[in-house]
Amino acid sequence: MHGKYDGEGEQSAFVFEGTWREFAPIAFTNLLLTIVTLGIYRFWATARERRYLWSKSRFVDEQLEWAGTGKELFFGFLIVLLLFAMPVVLINFVAQALIARGQEILGALLGIAPLLIIFYLTGVARFRGLRYRLSRTRWRGIRGGSDEPGFRYGLSYMWKSIVAWIPLGLLIPWSMTSLWNERWNKMSFGPYQFQSDAEAGSVFARFFVFYLAPFIMFGGAVAMAGMGMLAGYGIGGEDGMALGGAFGVIGMILFFYLGLGLIAVAFYAKFYREVVGATRWKDLNFSFEASTMDWVKLLIGDALLVVFTLGIGLIFLSYRHWKFFITHLEANGEILLDELTQSTTRTARHGEGLLDAFDMGAI
Amino acid sequence: MAKDCSTLSTWARSEPMQESFEVAASWYDGKSALRHEGSASWDGLDRLSLAAPTSHIAVPLSDLEFGEARSETIIYRRASEPDFRLTLPAAMPPGLSRHLPEKQVYGGWIDRVGLGRAAVGFGLVSIAAVALFMTAPDWLGPRVPESWERNLGQAMIGDFGGRLCSTPDGDAALAKLLDEVDPAQTQVNARVANIDMVNAVALPGAQVLLFDGIIQQAESPEELAGVLAHEVGHVRERHVMTALLRQFGMSVLLAGANTGVGDTVFGLAAMGYTRDAEREADRYARARLAESNISPLGAAGFFERMAEEYGDDGESNAVVGWLASHPAAGERARDFRNAAREGADYPPVLSDAEFDALKTMCADDPDVEEFDFF
Repeated sequence: MHGKYDGEGEQSAFVFEGTWREFAPIAFTNLLLTIVTLGIYRFWATARERRYLWSKSRFVDEQLEWAGTGKELFFGFLIVLLLFAMPVVLINFVAQALIARGQEILGALLGIAPLLIIFYLTGVARFRGLRYRLSRTRWRGIRGGSDEPGFRYGLSYMWKSIVAWIPLGLLIPWSMTSLWNERWNKMSFGPYQFQSDAEAGSVFARFFVFYLAPFIMFGGAVAMAGMGMLAGYGIGGEDGMALGGAFGVIGMILFFYLGLGLIAVAFYAKFYREVVGATRWKDLNFSFEASTMDWVKLLIGDALLVVFTLGIGLIFLSYRHWKFFITHLEANGEILLDELTQSTTRTARHGEGLLDAFDMGAI
Repeated sequence: MAKDCSTLSTWARSEPMQESFEVAASWYDGKSALRHEGSASWDGLDRLSLAAPTSHIAVPLSDLEFGEARSETIIYRRASEPDFRLTLPAAMPPGLSRHLPEKQVYGGWIDRVGLGRAAVGFGLVSIAAVALFMTAPDWLGPRVPESWERNLGQAMIGDFGGRLCSTPDGDAALAKLLDEVDPAQTQVNARVANIDMVNAVALPGAQVLLFDGIIQQAESPEELAGVLAHEVGHVRERHVMTALLRQFGMSVLLAGANTGVGDTVFGLAAMGYTRDAEREADRYARARLAESNISPLGAAGFFERMAEEYGDDGESNAVVGWLASHPAAGERARDFRNAAREGADYPPVLSDAEFDALKTMCADDPDVEEFDFF
């Protein structure tokens, strides 16, 4: 085992060894401190939480380590507040003043500017969030990162998202996979780049089902309502018809929401299997083994946990999601430890302020 | 350093065999992923010697930083080499652990004072901050120099995009109405805006706008006198600046918390406040109407119509408006009706011709702009 890791024959390269009992004291003290500080402690809470989750995630023979701090997350937040939130407030003020003075068009244009900026920065935030997480993740003392600041990725994010919507959203699978590739191809861990060549073709079928589902379901629902009415008529004449029709409509609505949600989950399950499976790092191939059923169980579990604890279960969701991610993540291949040297990427000194501001996940 | 040695020797005297010792240790140098497994030996002073078949290094104790505690081990970092990681057993002889950096759980300050005391302390500071931010606008608002407020008002609306209506007769009628309800030496700047909404607003810089919509629906000049007096009340009580400060303060305070909950709390807090301000402005209006011998029944009638038409609720608004987030219209109607003197004979506040001039002011103004967003 010394100096070399050969993935063949191992059970799984990624193992999660935490328990919710160990996590609970962290989550509850975090909640307490976050409340008494009016939310300011949440940056330190995040760091504590990640420190635990990372330290309980083993890759081959060594645990991961989270080296990020609450302080840098807090500063990231302050920077976003200063450079972004304040100007947006100011622009809105000016836009309102312009509209009040009769410069409606100019005012409206100026009012739209922040939206465009937010659109652009959403992409930048995605990129920088991933870069930040890699740069704060240590395995055997080695970290990841990226040499790109993500500003160009923000532009790609804009045009690819817009192009995806032009043919009525049919290119969304393409924009999602191609942005995944673009993001990960710029990332590295230690001396090696990640490589990703996910293809939209393999997730398109699922997406198409999701895309067509509303139409199919609408047709089906009309048929169902009609049949309900017929059945109702058979049983109870006019009144029975109305009742049968109502049952049909309720069935349609339930089917619409649950069915559409299920198909969306099926698409995402397939999407993550495809993109993670297409991602490589040196001689290591990754895969993500969560089936649609696994995702459904995760989401239903989340919902039940939150509902039955009257909301307190929310503090355990990050634990559940991380465990889900690590448990289903697999890697195969070979690492030569002698060649695995420290990353030369620059590390940003501040946390994922933007990502935090837009409330998104990194992966 | 001399002091260090003396403490050490005290400890060494009680257990003389362990003055220096060795424990199992593993480390990463932060340059490659190779793990060095061997031992750490302490020289009894200020240095830890790490020895493994693959590497030999000496680390000054003062260079070590606490990284994180795991179930049976503690991970230390080096200040001089940020990626260096040293794993030592969690159970260490007291002599050495005293020289190792202290364990951190919640973060610097909190660890120093303890979780319980820190939570209470933070809680008190937070309550004080909330109290300060909630009350500051009330005493700070009236202290903002009026000239600042005027400039702010200018910056916000300017000439209102040419939408202010003006005819000689209409202006005269409005001035007469204002004289009745605003006895101050420097009067507010009251104008009629060509906006077809049943509303009136008080804006920063002692500016009051009556929308054409409220004038068109008015059944008597006394009604408009009541509306105008109410808005003047907002200006005189400095509600506008207070509201602006409050909004600003709340957004700063809630920036720390996440937005979803924040918005709700913000809306509720702002709501409770405006209701008080509205009552204050109403009281001011009733006092002025009584002083000038104007019937409050006009305003009462207006509220009765509003209560009928819109129910008893308004919606919240950034500026202190006539219908925005107000106390229930029915209650206000009652208050105005009760203010009327029994059997009194109020003279009309405007002649029919003057009231008419107000009503046709926007239609007769040739240069006024229409209000539309595009």
